[in-house]
Amino acid sequence: MTPDDADLRRDFRPLFEPRAIAIVGASNTGRTRANDVLDFTRAMGFSGPIYPIHPSAATIHGLPAYRSLADCPGEIDYAFVAIAAARVPDLLAQASGRVRYAQIMASGFGETAEGERLNQRLLEVARSQRMRLIGPNCLGTYSPRGRITYIRDCPTEAGSVAFVSQSGGISTDMLRRGVQRGLRYSGVVSVGNCADLGPSDFLEYFLADPDTHVIGFYLESLPDGRRFFETLRSASARKPVVILKGGRTPQGQRAALSHTGALAGDDRLWTALSRQTGAAITSSVDELIDALIGFQCLRARFDRPGDGVFVVGNGGGASVLATDLMSRLGMQVRAPRDDARKALEALELPAGTSIDNPMDTPSGALRMHDGHVARALLSAIARAERPDAILFHVNMPQFLTNPSIPDAVFENLVDGMLEARRSDGDMTPLALTLRSDGSEPIDARKRPARDRALAAGVPVFDEIANALVALAHFQRYERFRHRRLAAERKASTDPPIRRQGGT
Amino acid sequence: MSAPLREAGAKDWIAGYGIRTPARREARTVDEALEALVSLRAPVVVKLVSQSLHKSDVGGVRLGIDGAAGLREAIASIDRAAGEHGIAVEGYLIEEMVPRGVEVLAGGIVDPVFGPAVVVGFGGVFTEVLNDVVARICPIDSADAHEMIREMKAAPLLFGVRGQPAVDVEALVAVLLALGGPHGIMMEQAHLIREIDLNPVIVSPHGAIAVDARIVLRENDA
Repeated sequence: MTPDDADLRRDFRPLFEPRAIAIVGASNTGRTRANDVLDFTRAMGFSGPIYPIHPSAATIHGLPAYRSLADCPGEIDYAFVAIAAARVPDLLAQASGRVRYAQIMASGFGETAEGERLNQRLLEVARSQRMRLIGPNCLGTYSPRGRITYIRDCPTEAGSVAFVSQSGGISTDMLRRGVQRGLRYSGVVSVGNCADLGPSDFLEYFLADPDTHVIGFYLESLPDGRRFFETLRSASARKPVVILKGGRTPQGQRAALSHTGALAGDDRLWTALSRQTGAAITSSVDELIDALIGFQCLRARFDRPGDGVFVVGNGGGASVLATDLMSRLGMQVRAPRDDARKALEALELPAGTSIDNPMDTPSGALRMHDGHVARALLSAIARAERPDAILFHVNMPQFLTNPSIPDAVFENLVDGMLEARRSDGDMTPLALTLRSDGSEPIDARKRPARDRALAAGVPVFDEIANALVALAHFQRYERFRHRRLAAERKASTDPPIRRQGGT
Repeated sequence: MSAPLREAGAKDWIAGYGIRTPARREARTVDEALEALVSLRAPVVVKLVSQSLHKSDVGGVRLGIDGAAGLREAIASIDRAAGEHGIAVEGYLIEEMVPRGVEVLAGGIVDPVFGPAVVVGFGGVFTEVLNDVVARICPIDSADAHEMIREMKAAPLLFGVRGQPAVDVEALVAVLLALGGPHGIMMEQAHLIREIDLNPVIVSPHGAIAVDARIVLRENDA
């Protein structure tokens, strides 16, 4: 961490690791978002004081309630504010400088002239007290390190993925579906309209946060695009950044007076940002989750950036489609080297196995040694071929619906893959695709196998295409960072340019 | 809505940033045009000077003029075309013809979100149709400029195909840096400029020359 990083971490600590929090808007008569946050945060094990703010109730959910933020017995690091927009500025004005961060749920700031005035007032109130705002028009903050959450049953274990969203709904998707898929977060912030703090502030913070290894964004409109770009550019991709951009328009939205003006639309500049900063741009929530899972699990190798994948598993058509997709993604499909070919031939896999890339290993081959063959197979590829990455795909119903195949073969395939990875010392990025048919019994077998692989650090995908797209993002990132590091090394070793002439 | 700068003015501006432009003279009358012809190397191009947005669309450009007779005839036909379209003729721009090469578009805009940006593309007047355009946020460095050029689908046209010689790609890189580099027009003049459009820039083995230039200024900074 640089000194600046330490400053950033200290500045944001009250938000991500609050010592005391206030909840505004919870009631004893109804159930509001504030009630939820109070309950979920206590259930998550938040150990500091929680101060419910209420105009009349003596207690809320058994906790003593206070009339105003200033009445609370201690300083408030984080206030969760879920009351109507019109009442928010006055409520915060009474905080007497005791609130560090306030997250505002209400909408109605900015859409109308009256809303504009409220927004102005809100900002003045916050600035006069050195209080920072998140929102308005947002859902909450999840920080496992600080034990705060706005969604029920989020993991208490801290992960390495940060996510910042301009849509509350998508932040919820990423917490629910993302966690199911295996994402573990260092923090999730729903930033809403970004009246005060916005994507650039959280980008700076998460770049500095040593617990965060990859940063995801859902963005619709950047209030300070220039700062966002410059922060990313100067970070030299030291952490991977994955962006899902909503509202990408193919052409410029403004009236253009020239060819150039008509051509340099919003969409093209997001592509430009990706090329210039190494940030990955995705086009769906699923692609975002896939890319983040890849970055969470795989260790990037900047000294040896990749541009291809060795694909192995059961399914001839699936292999052909994998080749097509790799070529569309600009990935290399390298045939195995002689050493690897010999090592694979030595396994004496049954007829029908193609020793090639992609390598089609029919279920008859993968059931050898009750599935333990996966260890020898993947070890041989890793050791003799040393590919940039390996994708192992298993078409589950072929093993789980065939009465002649022993029940344990499927689990042994997964375990064999994990053993191969351990014996390789995690030298080769390895990904797993578990293809289910969506039926109850197959999905039930898939979940524990997926969790076992994820716990060991292997990213798991639902389809081969998802895995390849995630690996393409991963390898593009490796190559970008590799080039930036090479350029920086060159700049620092080149002799300084001497001015001609002079005295 | 703001009007574009006069073409000669736009070319003087970009020439100040090191972008090559054809040798040229402006003339208000036929006599001035004939005088200008003497100081230029034939063949020349004559272009209508007016506020009209697309000169070639209204017959305001005549190419390959070799002598006084040709020049008189070209000016008469430009006047006629302008009259038919109801366009006021403010004068004529007479320029030396640029040797053949690959035509590309280069330009800059100030984007409301990201600020100054630079683009390169193929297609001349059909640029929008072909949609083979690559953009970058300014400032760019030489590696960015090379990457932009390689990223165009038709980039092989620049590196030599079907017996055509490779063009001076470094000259095109220099144009992009003059537009979008750290000390380029877009970084230094973003407070004044709304759009710059160099279309076409003719890139050949002998360099890159901006044959047409349009600069649109920001409304409130006139």
